[in-house]
Amino acid sequence: MKNIFNRNRLGLVIGVVLWTALPVVHAADFPEKGDFVKGAKAWANNCTRCHNLRDAKELRDDQWITTTFHMRVRAGLTGQETRDILTFLQQSN
Amino acid sequence: MCKSDRKTRRKAAGLLLTSSVVMAIPSVLYAATELEQLKQEVEQLKLDVAQAKEWSEPYSLIHMAGYADVGYISDDNPATEDSFSVGTFAPIFHYQYRDLVMLESELEVELAEDGSTEIKLEYLTIDWMMSDNAVLVAGQFLSPIGNFRQNLHPSWINKLPSAPPGFGHDGAAPVSDLGVQLRGGFFLGDMKANYSLYIGNGPEVKAEIEDDGAGGVDTIEFDGVEAEAFGADADGDKVFGGRLGIFPLNSLELGLSFLSGDATVTEYEGGDPTGGNAPTLDGINGSAYDVVGVDISYQRKALDLRYEYVSTEMSATNIGGFDLEAAEWTTWYAQVAYRFLPSKYEAVIRLSEFDSPHNSSDQEQLAVGFNYLFSNNFIGKLGFESNDNPNAGQTAYDRWMLQLAYGF
Repeated sequence: MKNIFNRNRLGLVIGVVLWTALPVVHAADFPEKGDFVKGAKAWANNCTRCHNLRDAKELRDDQWITTTFHMRVRAGLTGQETRDILTFLQQSN
Repeated sequence: MCKSDRKTRRKAAGLLLTSSVVMAIPSVLYAATELEQLKQEVEQLKLDVAQAKEWSEPYSLIHMAGYADVGYISDDNPATEDSFSVGTFAPIFHYQYRDLVMLESELEVELAEDGSTEIKLEYLTIDWMMSDNAVLVAGQFLSPIGNFRQNLHPSWINKLPSAPPGFGHDGAAPVSDLGVQLRGGFFLGDMKANYSLYIGNGPEVKAEIEDDGAGGVDTIEFDGVEAEAFGADADGDKVFGGRLGIFPLNSLELGLSFLSGDATVTEYEGGDPTGGNAPTLDGINGSAYDVVGVDISYQRKALDLRYEYVSTEMSATNIGGFDLEAAEWTTWYAQVAYRFLPSKYEAVIRLSEFDSPHNSSDQEQLAVGFNYLFSNNFIGKLGFESNDNPNAGQTAYDRWMLQLAYGF
């Protein structure tokens, strides 16, 4: 009985993953570009929720890429918010 | 004009032409050399520009971030001495391929009291950016239950030098797990929300035996839930949980968490005091394991408010004919921080309480702190904790802490 229950839960997780992934996989290769103004707003709204704001000049353009994607996972940012914030930081450093 | 004059003129013209040609040759040669140099410089410039673009926009990126802290602790426990300490060195490695996948790993390096160095894997995940609204996180990850453990525990973020009671290892709040997690963000109209859902190996549970003084077992009770990632699932029972955070205002986040599954006692804490009469743990049934959490955070200008509550429950079970009563571990904290803008000073106060089935582990704490922000990621902290344990009829030890924390 316990094993069946566990399999059902695993099946539910697999279903959720496919349901979320399949409609949008093709779109991932053609993402919209970041927007500087929206990025400035998203940066101010999201980053201070947990920590002090980090100056755009702290990192190079390439370092901001990994940093913003790390924060995408950590803070639950959408892909578009991530690209907006990245655009703002890369153009402000 | 006579014939000899024409001849003389022709000679002069020839001489002039020859001289001009001879004099022009070096200039032509010089111009050709200049042109060649210019071509080479343009080619080099093109190469430099291409290389610069490669540097800023490669498909694969490697980056190291992290944090570290050092400090000084003074408490009123007569059994311990005041001492300098290295808190934690926690490098975080990022390897990213385009906007498709990222490998993240954080190590936790600590200096033990005996001088040895301890290295632990805080997390190691491969993150597949599936869509704008979903990231599949596979591996060992920080528990998404609540907010402190997954987002606030790094020392350059935590506004006090210590974690609230119950939010560290062996507390009420899960620390980490090993499994598969789906997380991301989305908008409900104008309202932002984020979510995480995961299935993982779950915790390991320990029980404690009270002997009857005659070599037998008197009682068995739950000792603790070790809710952190283990490399193998000792009890075979998986857990399922997650968190939903919504933002009714840009500055206000409300979070709800849950975690549910079965968990089985896998070990007796402190071993078997009866010398072999303890019931075997092989083949015993698991019992229900449930965690719920609530977290609230609000920021406005210089003000930062946070509240978090986590409760962990194990339902009653039976081991070898001995009944184990249901057990509950709860913890909460409320924290207010204020930055005295435009200065770099910040004041913090935090009230917290940890309640466990064992009164000796309970803790009530009032912590105050005064920080100086050398920069937004380099912080000096002075903290004081007033610790009490009225449930055990004793006062826990108060302590002063100095800490330098640096996020990089």
